[in-house]
Amino acid sequence: MVIESAHEFETQDLLLNVGPQHPSTHGVFRMVMQVDGEVVRDIIPYIGYLHRGAEKLCETMDYRQGIGFMDRTEYLAAMNAELSYVMAVEKLAELEVPDRAQWIRMILVELNRLSSHLMFMGAFGIDVGVFGTPFIYAWREREAIIDLFEEISGDRMMYAYLRPGGLAWDVPANFVPRCREVLTAVRQGIADFDGLLTKNEIFIARTQGIGIVSAADAIDFGMSGPSIRASGVPLDVRREEPYLKYDEIKWDVITATEGDVYARYLCRLAEMRESVKIVEQCLDRLQPGPIMPEKMPRMLRTPPGEVYIRTEAPRGEFGIYMVSKGGNRPYRLKVRSACLSNLQALKHMSVGLYVADAIIVLGSIDIVLSEVDR
Amino acid sequence: MPTGLFGLNPWLDGVIRLLIIVGLMTVVAMGLIYIERKVLGRFHARIGPQRTGPFGLLQSVADALKLVGKEDLRPRNADPWTFEFGPYLVFIPIFLGFVVSPFMAGFTVRVLDLGILYFVAVSSVSIVGWVMAGWGSDNRYAMIGGMRAAAQAISYELPFVLSLLSVSMLAGTLNINEIVEAQTSVPNIVWQPLAFIIFFIAALAELNRPPFDIPVGESEVVGGPFVEYSGIRWSMFFLGEYASLFIMSILISALFLGGYEWPFGTQLGIGWQLVLTVIKASMLIFLIIWVRASVPRLRIDQLMGYAWKILLPLSLLQVLVNGFVLVYDLPKLLLTAAGLGGVFLLVWLTEHAITRPRESRATAAATAATLQSEAAS
Amino acid sequence: MRGIAKSMLTTLSVFLRPPVTRDYPNFHKPLPERDRAFPLLLWDKDIDEPFCTGCHACERACPVECMTVLMKDNPNHRSVGGSSTRRKIIDKFWIDYARCMRCNICVEVCNFDAIAMNNTWSGHETSVYDRKDLVMDLQQLTTQSHSGAIKEWVPVLGQANES
Repeated sequence: MVIESAHEFETQDLLLNVGPQHPSTHGVFRMVMQVDGEVVRDIIPYIGYLHRGAEKLCETMDYRQGIGFMDRTEYLAAMNAELSYVMAVEKLAELEVPDRAQWIRMILVELNRLSSHLMFMGAFGIDVGVFGTPFIYAWREREAIIDLFEEISGDRMMYAYLRPGGLAWDVPANFVPRCREVLTAVRQGIADFDGLLTKNEIFIARTQGIGIVSAADAIDFGMSGPSIRASGVPLDVRREEPYLKYDEIKWDVITATEGDVYARYLCRLAEMRESVKIVEQCLDRLQPGPIMPEKMPRMLRTPPGEVYIRTEAPRGEFGIYMVSKGGNRPYRLKVRSACLSNLQALKHMSVGLYVADAIIVLGSIDIVLSEVDR
Repeated sequence: MPTGLFGLNPWLDGVIRLLIIVGLMTVVAMGLIYIERKVLGRFHARIGPQRTGPFGLLQSVADALKLVGKEDLRPRNADPWTFEFGPYLVFIPIFLGFVVSPFMAGFTVRVLDLGILYFVAVSSVSIVGWVMAGWGSDNRYAMIGGMRAAAQAISYELPFVLSLLSVSMLAGTLNINEIVEAQTSVPNIVWQPLAFIIFFIAALAELNRPPFDIPVGESEVVGGPFVEYSGIRWSMFFLGEYASLFIMSILISALFLGGYEWPFGTQLGIGWQLVLTVIKASMLIFLIIWVRASVPRLRIDQLMGYAWKILLPLSLLQVLVNGFVLVYDLPKLLLTAAGLGGVFLLVWLTEHAITRPRESRATAAATAATLQSEAAS
Repeated sequence: MRGIAKSMLTTLSVFLRPPVTRDYPNFHKPLPERDRAFPLLLWDKDIDEPFCTGCHACERACPVECMTVLMKDNPNHRSVGGSSTRRKIIDKFWIDYARCMRCNICVEVCNFDAIAMNNTWSGHETSVYDRKDLVMDLQQLTTQSHSGAIKEWVPVLGQANES
């Protein structure tokens, strides 16, 4: 009896568990990779390790108490999360935010974008294999930004600074010179990263041509942020539906064409430079004035209605869908998470690559698990 | 009956030399761990260990005590023989490599006529230890790390050996001490710049140092073959890595930079010779740590492609040029010229190979597309 | 290779600059005035009693329900021969520092400016061995203000800078 087999050499695929505790999964994220030798055949992601029920909790919180929970929904870009939330409340309650508050909000949001992209550079550098150096450089610059935030709001990461209507309290008197100091430090940091990674041949060899997602596929997956702009789609919420004062200053939408990991890295590096430009223009236009509308009630109540507000978080389109049935708390709060949508493309990007490349692709999507899981 | 040091009984002499090696190696490895942490810290704009003892000098001692006191964990399904003996097979060949390292004139532990051959043979045995550790750990990450280590070590063995061969061709001998003493006027790096660079890169790969540390990729396979070891066994790997780093730097400084011979020759007392050797080795160690702080790691297929397609042909080229110059008695300056040309060629090839879009990436995309259509159907 | 050389030159330039780390327990960075650690109760030095009257405003406003407040009749009130105008005074007050999320809402809603966030290092160095020790009672919450060791910052909500 002759037994014929389809392959000459029967092998078995290995199920590799890149578990919730791992130095490079950027949080508690688990994926099971089906690996044939070194080539990835399938990825099964498991999320939910950081689910804390933020959306449900916010149903029991009034509009001021909920701001702290929005901070923790995306802790690396907390200002942006707070901004979406307070903008939704302002739209429901039809509050008008004074100009000074708008400009200061813009400055803070862009500084937060800088610190978030710096965090990406640091973590990405470790994924690629440079031990420690880009991480420390990122932290050195982030320290400058976070110290500034501590002087303004009192806290280094969970600011709870924006309020429906404007800001909680005004910035300190030396805000403008301090901002300019921080920008100088950040420029040096961006130059350091540029020198360290961008032209490094091994870095290019590791990241070029890896994890390509085409523009059509990216739109199908619902990606947003630098991940989709690196594939050539010029989608930026600040340009599509301008909020704050983005339509009054000059800035560019950064796109790249290849859609691979290197393009995403370059996009984020260029976006950091754009953020510096934006902050400088805002600092020039900052005028003294009120930061809250007059006659703000002690306990804010909103008329019944529903609203969807989206903003450009450092990771993509962060949206808040809020339904109010009157009263001082939302009836339903839904967070449209940029990272969750971007994460859907992980399998598409990584199948057929090596294990080491799959790790780098995951790093380049730049997820923060608190937003994926809420 | 040959007499040993100071006319002692050769067996006693052998035991004394053994004890010197063991003691020296442990101290050197611990000192080197401390130096790496401090220097790497300065590259990272931070200070490094500074609390245990003055300037943190006792940090390595504290680490050693901690590791000795740890529980010896063993996975239930670990293969007992390979798991047990893997660390020893990694550690012991490094001791053996110490035997031929030339520190000072006349004070090498044993001057062997086949010094280079012995060294290469002995350092290759560690690879078996890595694979044993990877296989015996009953852990997928360990196995992946072990396979990668084996592939890498085998690939870089050839450029390693061929560059050593080019140096010994110049001196006409495999005896390391004689090669050092042949460099009285000019260090070998002047005649063999290409071999120096190839040997440096291949040595980094043999040591599993960044950018070739994918078997021990700290951010992916979290320790590679050593992930299941704890306590003393793990410290054996760790110390072995740093001890072999030291030996390799001594060897590079001896073979290419002139060791204890250049520039002052043997008129210098042995104390100064030791200082000179250590200074040259320190410069190389600084360079190795500098490379670690600046360069990402190569993926396993890129690494192997680099060894087989770029380093191996260039090292063969170097041997060929050496052969021509030595057989036909051409002026030695031709060696330098050819070597510098070879260095430019290496630089150009490296840049060209990396930044040019390759068909293999299109193949990866095509494979992915085929897999998805297979999965869909 | 030239890109690698550029990376190495960048790291060398950082090597030659002084390190940026601070030696923490030996050196404490000066904290800004608005620094927000855990809440403390403030002490009225003129009358020698806490400002807090136990009105439960902060307890209701707290998002994580970390406070427990009990009030009592003030034995120091004018009507019974004392010097204070506070009819009620705080009797027992517990804040669970393990639950507090330092959102500052209790400071904002307090009608008497009786609670403020600790802006000194002792607010950040609250490590204990047992989680129960993180529940602070009235005496622990008032020690710092009582001894004058804190200069609190109580903001006026929504007030712009005068300029």
